[in-house]
Amino acid sequence: MTATATTAGSSGLAVATRALHKRYGPRVALAGLDLSVPSGVVYGFLGPNGAGKTTTMRLLTGLIHADSGTIELLGRPFGQGDRRRLFEVGALIEAPAFYPFLSGRENLRALAATGAPTPWSRVDELLEVVGLTERARDRVSTYSLGMKQRLGIAAALLSDPKLLLLDEPANGLDPAGIVAMRDTLRNLASAGKTVFVSSHILGEVRQLADIVGIIAEGRLVREGPIEELLTSRGRVRVRVKPDEVGAALARLEAGGFRPVQGSTSDDGWLSVAVGGDRASEINRSLAQAGIYASALTAETDLESVFLELTGATPTGDGQRSFGSAGATTVAGQASGQDPQ
Amino acid sequence: MRLFVAGLRKLVRRPASYVSVGLLAGLLSLILIAVGATAKQTAERPNGAAALLLVTFPQAYTLILSFILGLGGLIAVIYGAAVAGSEWNWGTLKAAVARGESRSRYALVTFASVALLIGVGLVLAFLVGTLMAVVGANLAGISTSGLSNSDALGRLPDQFGRSWIAVVEEGALGFTVATLARSQLAGIGAGIALYFGEQFASIFLPDIVKYFPFNAATAVVENAGTGGGGIIQRLEPGLALVVVMAWLVGSLFVAAVFTERADISG
Repeated sequence: MTATATTAGSSGLAVATRALHKRYGPRVALAGLDLSVPSGVVYGFLGPNGAGKTTTMRLLTGLIHADSGTIELLGRPFGQGDRRRLFEVGALIEAPAFYPFLSGRENLRALAATGAPTPWSRVDELLEVVGLTERARDRVSTYSLGMKQRLGIAAALLSDPKLLLLDEPANGLDPAGIVAMRDTLRNLASAGKTVFVSSHILGEVRQLADIVGIIAEGRLVREGPIEELLTSRGRVRVRVKPDEVGAALARLEAGGFRPVQGSTSDDGWLSVAVGGDRASEINRSLAQAGIYASALTAETDLESVFLELTGATPTGDGQRSFGSAGATTVAGQASGQDPQ
Repeated sequence: MRLFVAGLRKLVRRPASYVSVGLLAGLLSLILIAVGATAKQTAERPNGAAALLLVTFPQAYTLILSFILGLGGLIAVIYGAAVAGSEWNWGTLKAAVARGESRSRYALVTFASVALLIGVGLVLAFLVGTLMAVVGANLAGISTSGLSNSDALGRLPDQFGRSWIAVVEEGALGFTVATLARSQLAGIGAGIALYFGEQFASIFLPDIVKYFPFNAATAVVENAGTGGGGIIQRLEPGLALVVVMAWLVGSLFVAAVFTERADISG
């Protein structure tokens, strides 16, 4: 960790963006993005479709240029003309990119000839890591999606990067591949490297990431340790006898647990928007009033947090469309974001 | 150097490289064998004797070369466009840039390997053509004693050098068009349209079109060997070479600058 802090500069940040703006014609892709990614962690980068995740990844790898704002990679400014900074960065942006007529090994060797000098021995080493040694001689055009993804991860690791930027790395991987990928990324973070993972698979991010950043409509709406986020945005569900619902609601509200929701038609279930760590307090408060819970669950659901923060909370009536993150809601939350 | 060698390796393994040379050599062989096999009928037709020069050495050398350059120029446009366009379509340029590779260096070195492969393709097609011309001559009952004509053989290196530069320039145009289009298919389509569009325009605007890339390329080659300009106005060979070099450098400059500045997505 000490070594990583040194490579990341005095800020201790592997990636820092400030007021990053990017437009594609009239469409605003990023509207002042401020990211702070500490060194030596797995950072989960979340957002709905079109939120600006891939644009951010492209900016961080110099594929596109920002309209305004600054980027720091590994503690040093990164802009046009700083391409050598990427020698310490490995990336898998969108779909893995390979020559279909070359084998997996030849593709990695061709890629190794670009950017940072990379010995060929590294190629075979990585083919082993991603489990493609047996198919290394086969043309990439014969690979499955999951195999291409694994080869893409190997390509990202070619230069033994200090910072790894991965866009949807679990795409196409089978369950065993996902577990192997997760282990590999966790090991990299343990070795002091920083792993920046963009994903929409919330369960995957929850298992993998130490810190998450959530963006919507080109702005960061929340960033912080994942457990803290889940705790602060959690929900406790408590079940009491249906005829005690009214009394329980009153007791909890009087006890400062707000907001509380519940009705007699919900089979005695009450929902309290507090962190899961406060479940015992709720139980005690109800018991002191002579109301005994028959069930108590602390839900720390990343999906709910994500939907709430990005303004895409489901209505429950099945009417919400796929791209329904509301601009008004998101803008309101973005302006009221909780800086950390 | 490692980038150049890697670029060569990619092209050597690329099916399009073999298809391009195979197409050129195959069509040339077909024509030469057909000319030899139908020599009697060919000789009786108007200009039939001129057709038989294709299998009559030493004249066959320059005519084979002219044929290769005509069709080879078109194939070079397509090949250059295919190589540049696929770098964008397949995302391999994106992967290289994300590793910190210089964009313009990548584009120029990629084209350098294309240029070398074009040279190899020209030599292979010429060797196949010469072999088939010998076969055609035997079929036609024409002597092949001119095969070892020292004057003709002595001119070949100069003709080859000029031919190579001309075809490389045509390949560079395809490469640049595909780079600007960021697409393999669009690059190939636009390259072919430019090729035939220029031939068509030369009927109406010969004084201007003779400075255009494909016409200038033809002038460099034709005046070097065959001396045949037909009804179309041609530049003097020396001036044509300068014009061709200008188009070559200019198009590669545009490709490099565009690659350097473009947003790379997809």
